[in-house]
This record gives sequence, structure tokens and C-alpha cells, in this order.
Amino acid sequence: MGNQVLLEIDNISKAFGITKACKNITFTINKGEIHGLIGENGSGKSTLTSMIYGLQSPDEGRFVFLGKEYKAHNQLEANVAGISAIVQEAGTLSGLTVAQNMFLGKEKEFISNGFLNNKKMNVAADSLLKEYGFETIKGADIVDKYNFETRKFMEIVKATYFKPELVIVDETTTALSQDGREILYEQMDKIRNSGRTVIFISHDLDEVMSKTDRVSVLRDGEYITTVNTKEITADNLKELMVGRKVDNRYYRTDYGTPVSEQVVYSMNHVTTKGLLKDVSLELHKGEILGIGGLSDCGIHEIGRVLFGAERNYEGAVKFSDGKRINSITEAIAEGIAYTSKDRDNESVVLNASIKNNICMMAYDSLKKGIFISPSKCNSFANKFAKKLSVKMQGIEQDVAGLSGGNKQKVVLARWLAINPEILIFDSPTRGIDIKVKADIYNVMDELRKEGKSIIMISEEIMELIGMCDRILILKNGAVNGEFVRNESLQEQDLIKKMI
Amino acid sequence: MSEKTNMKEEKKLKKSVNGRFSYIGIVILLAFFGVVTNFKSLTAGNLLLILQQSYVLLICATGVFFVMSMGSLDFSQGAIIGVASIAVILAGQEHIALGMIAGVAVGAAIGLINGILHARFKIGSFIVTICTMLAFRGLCAFLTTDSPYSAPIYMYMMDADKFAIPIVVIVLLGGFVVSRYTKLGQYVRMIGAGETAARFSGIKIEKIKIISFVAAGVLAGLAATINVIRVGSITASAGNLAETNVMIALVLGGLPVSGGAKTKFSSVILGVFMLSILNNGLVLLQIEPNLQQLIRGLIFLVIVAITTDRKSLAVIK
Repeated sequence: MGNQVLLEIDNISKAFGITKACKNITFTINKGEIHGLIGENGSGKSTLTSMIYGLQSPDEGRFVFLGKEYKAHNQLEANVAGISAIVQEAGTLSGLTVAQNMFLGKEKEFISNGFLNNKKMNVAADSLLKEYGFETIKGADIVDKYNFETRKFMEIVKATYFKPELVIVDETTTALSQDGREILYEQMDKIRNSGRTVIFISHDLDEVMSKTDRVSVLRDGEYITTVNTKEITADNLKELMVGRKVDNRYYRTDYGTPVSEQVVYSMNHVTTKGLLKDVSLELHKGEILGIGGLSDCGIHEIGRVLFGAERNYEGAVKFSDGKRINSITEAIAEGIAYTSKDRDNESVVLNASIKNNICMMAYDSLKKGIFISPSKCNSFANKFAKKLSVKMQGIEQDVAGLSGGNKQKVVLARWLAINPEILIFDSPTRGIDIKVKADIYNVMDELRKEGKSIIMISEEIMELIGMCDRILILKNGAVNGEFVRNESLQEQDLIKKMI
Repeated sequence: MSEKTNMKEEKKLKKSVNGRFSYIGIVILLAFFGVVTNFKSLTAGNLLLILQQSYVLLICATGVFFVMSMGSLDFSQGAIIGVASIAVILAGQEHIALGMIAGVAVGAAIGLINGILHARFKIGSFIVTICTMLAFRGLCAFLTTDSPYSAPIYMYMMDADKFAIPIVVIVLLGGFVVSRYTKLGQYVRMIGAGETAARFSGIKIEKIKIISFVAAGVLAGLAATINVIRVGSITASAGNLAETNVMIALVLGGLPVSGGAKTKFSSVILGVFMLSILNNGLVLLQIEPNLQQLIRGLIFLVIVAITTDRKSLAVIK
């Protein structure tokens, strides 16, 4: 392991609106190491790496790469400079072949007589894939033919075949099976052993402990420290991430609270094309029912089915009296609320004011005679924005300028304003800082105490353990385990059922 | 930090441009054409003419306001006026009311076709309404192949102003109230600002879209009656370019092309009068009609370029 500096991150800052995603971050990455980068959601990891990778540019500060100031405006420039990345979400373009995806932006190398020589590209792709031991993937095939994991393998080849000095692996492992992970680890080791470098982002601390040489910790957009992996424990890392001794203070603290026998809403043998397989669940009155699993295992689909947003399924979704819903409009009328994982597109109207967003579903109660009363709208929006303590300049402010946490508060304000009986929270604290997280957990606990029934869908195991009366774990679209709230429940117990 | 304040200032500027441009624009236009035409344009007679030229546009723009608030477009307005005008003449031989009903019915039918094709079959409104424009423009030309339709004599005798002004006033008042004080008015804006989020809030997108296109059709059909009374005879070119004039007017009036939460109904009135003053002025200056077209096109382009908030602009639906 050399101590030669590869990349200096020098005083980097980046803000989105009023949210500061990165605040004066300074540290260095050495040549020939696997450098872990950890932090809670919203700590700035992805923002930082996306700047290194040229997807965004910093507001302040600079990068020094291989001794020279480095600035990439897009991924291609980053590649040329010697930096590549494997990302969390799908990094392939559907409709193109494997080879076209692999050499995206590098087609120039395959032009002969002014035309793109696809054959040559396919041959090159095949030989590379073979080199990596992925003979089963063929360059000429359309990528859509392959499943998510296989496409990730293709991305690994794409990101590493040209021997870049630095490869960023951004939360890729969550999408992979154990075998898939081993393959990725092997490639990471190869890169390090050839004197090149990996930045490894992961939520799985065990993985970070076993694979990395050094680890840097970010918290709320600030750089905390860099430590040698050998000299630290997973618990120490957790402490560093959260900033204090890890306790469950912001989760609910009661245990053994009896859950009502009364079932308010249920899903019977629901199957959707390609995602859910024969899923049944019962939501009891006044409970928080957790649904956990890997991102693509169908947990989010459950929320959409229950809310009437996905109606293409076999099986039945019904209330205790047998009533069924056929649309989102009906679901809302029956007292169901839903916060989407895709907050910016599905939960809030970004380019509309806080007032518009809060009042949107309540106009019927804001009328004077047959017409909507603007003054009633104002006081209504103010009341609920204050109730949720939304940090804002005023209710006329556009939602687009709010931080993720405050957007989510607007979403909650809007739903609480119409007093639903069943609330489906999909990834309610995704990308939200700890303080607002605590507020949201509080709201959920209050609702539970009021006798509202809650479904909490989350990829974060800790919050499921901390908040739920019962937890269902999904694997590949089917229910693979159920846990009842208790103090001794461990992350590992749930993870075992997920993979 | 400085970038931020810059952005803020830019936003402020845009806001003031969008918000006040139209008021100032009207004054500037009136003053400009007043001066260059030696105050011919400011005589009572000419101002009345400007008003008369605005009736049809005001009514059509009221309907299109709702369509454009959703971020959609309606290119079929002119064709609706053409076909509905023929219906007005055919059905209105005995009484004007029958003609009006026929005109409105034709407009509603075409609006319904637009709405269903767009909302239910998920075809972009741009494509749908261009197709219906072509189809009904064709029908209008076909029906007038042999000879133009002439309005019944009693319509020639009617006082167009006495007939049109109450209708225009009612339409504008109704449009204002619906846009501001009803769910429909709020929902079209929310659809324009974020259709997916609107759907997840339980807004029935299809229904609202169809209602808006039908309303735009109905109003164009209503405007057809006034068109017949003013023009008297209907040829293949009846209502020609009304759709573009309506859209230019609304954009001149400060309506963002992408629609959204910040649309204001005042755009209808301000925009239509600006366009009418401009058109009238160009005529008074005896500028060639084809050149007028060029000037209008350029002005439209400039206004859109200045006022478009590119960040919030998604694809026009």
C-alpha cells in the first residue's frame, strides 16, 4: 500500500438551494488503496463523488488529481482523465446493445470509412467480457435482455476495462447477490493490487470493515475524519457517522405495546407482473407495519398497489368491510395517504407554492359558498405548515427551494390536513437529515397513538427496527420473513432474510 | 453566495418582466402607434375598432387559458371557428339562438375529440390539435368549395357590439371566477406544474383535461356566432390563424408557455388587447399583410425567449 497521493479533495462545497450538501470538505485519497466513504443518507457522499465524476461541479474548492488541478464537466472527461464510476442505480441505457452501452461516448474508436462499425464494437466487447469471465454476456445483445445484476457486471467492465486510475463504486453492492458481491470485490482487489485506487461507498459497515484499507466519514455534509480500517471497529464507525454514541433516542421507546386485533386493510395473494409474487399482508388498526427489503425486491410496489397507483395485479386489496379501491382518487377518499419514494415527482408539485401544495387536496373544505376562499386557504396552509414546523420564508415560497426534509414536511402537512386513517410511508426519511428524521418519527408515533394505521416501507433496516410493531421482509417479490417488535431484534436478523 | 444573489435577482427581474410587462406593454404600444400614426390610432373610432377586433380573441383566449395552464396547447381553435361558423349559419336561419346552440355544439364536439385523444389515448396535445386543425380546416374548405356561406339577412342587420359585449363580459367574468375560485381552476395549474404529483394527490387528470379541451371548444364555438355576425360570409379561410393569435396573445399577456402554478387570468385581457393594438397599428401604418405576419412571429419569439423560465419548463404536453 503506497502513500502517494492520488486525489486531493480541497475545500469542496456544494449547495442545492438552501441545502448545503457538502461543506468545505478536505481530505486525500492515496494511490493503491480501497478507500471507504461512509455517512448516513444525506451526509454528502454521493454529492461529493458525483462532483469527482463530473456529474456536478463544486460551488467552491478544487480537486487535484495526479498532481494537477482537475475539473471534469461530464463523465467522458472524467474517463479521459482516468476516473470512472459504477453507480447505485441502473447505469445502462435501455434499447441499446451491451457493446453500445459499453463504448458509449467512445464510438470514435470504432469508426471506419465514416461509418460506425458495430461488428468491430461487438467483437471488442465480447473479448473484454471474456477477459472478466462474463462469457455469458454477449456484446450484440440488447441490454434489456439481462437482469439487473448481470447489467451491473457489464457496468463493472465498462467502468474498469480502460484501466482508470480511480474507480468509484457507489452503493453498488446493495443491488447484488452474495455471489455478485464476490465478483465485484474481486475486481476491486485487482484494481488495488495493480496500484490503482477504488473509492468504495457502502451502507453495509461489515463490508466496509472487511474490504477497505482506509475509511473517510462524512456527516451532514461535513468531513469528520479518515481512519485506518484495521484500527477501528464497526461500532466506532457508526459513532463517527452519527456523531454521538449510537442510541435509539429518536425512535419510539415503547416495547410490548399490544396491537389491536382489528384488521383495517389487507392484501390477499397479490401478484404483479415481474415484481410481487403472491404477497399477503394485514394491516391492524393502530400499528406501524414495516416492510423491508432490497431496493428492487418489490417493497415499493406494495405501496403503489395499496394506494391504487398500480392497478395491474392479480389478487385482492380490500378494507375490512370488503370494499376495494380502483384509483388513487378513491384511495384518498377512503382515507388512505401515501408518501412516495420519488418525493420530487410524485409527492410534491415542485414549481408550486407551499400553500398550493398543502391546500391541493382540501379545497372542498376551503370554500365559502360554492367558491374557494383565498383567505381560508392562507390560514389553512399556515396552520399546517406551522404544525409540522416547515422551515420556510412564507407559504408563497415554491416547494422547489426547500430541503428534502422540509419538502417531506410539506407532504406530511398536506396529508395530515385531510386526516387520513391509513398512512403509507414509502421511504419517509430518504435523504433527510437526522433532525428532520426525528421530527418525522415523532409524527408517526403520534399518529400511531391516535389509532391511525401506518405502513412504513423502507430500505433502512434501523428505522424499521426502531419504529415498527411488525416487520415483513421481502425477497425477490415474496414475503420471506416476519418479525415482531422486540428489543433484541438485530439488523443481521433482517438482512439474512433479505439476501 | 454571489451566484445565489444573482439567481435571485434574475428571478426578480423575470418576475417583474412577466408580471408587469403586459401593463407597460399596452401603454408603450398605444403611445408608440399613437406617435407614429400621428394620433390617428387614438381616435375614439379606432379604439372602438380595436375593441371590436378583440371580441373573438377574448372569448377563445379564455378557453385556451385553461388548456395552456395545464401546459397543453390547442391549435384547433381557428378550425373550430371555421366549422362552427358554418353550423351557426345553417342552424340559425330563423333565430340566432339556434345558431348559437349549433356553434357551441360543434365546438364542444371537436373539443371532446381533442380531450379524449389527448387525455385518454395519451397523445401530446400539440399533435392531437394540429391533426384536428388540419381535419376540420379541410372540412371547412370542403363545405365552402362551391360558394361561401352567407349569413341570413337578419344577422347582417344586428348590432354586433350590442350582441357581443355582454357575451364577452360574461365569458371573461366567468373565466376569472373559475380560474381563481374553483377546484378546476386550481387543478389545471397543478397539472401544469407537476402532472405526476397532481395524479398522486388524487386529482382526476383525465377528467380535468377533457373538461378543459371541451371548454376551449365550446368557447371557440360561441365566438363563431360573433364571427358570423361581424363577417357575414364564411369562406374556407374563416377563423384562419385564430389559434396562433390566441396563443401569441396569451404569451404576450404573461402566460408562461409551460403553464403551471403561476398563471394569471389577467393574461387573457392584457394579451388580447396588446395583440389587437399591435395588429391595428400595423394596419394603420399600411404595412403589407405578409410583413405583418413576419413582425408578429418575431415579436412572439422574442417574448417567449425573454419570459420562459427554462428551469421549470418541462416538455410541452
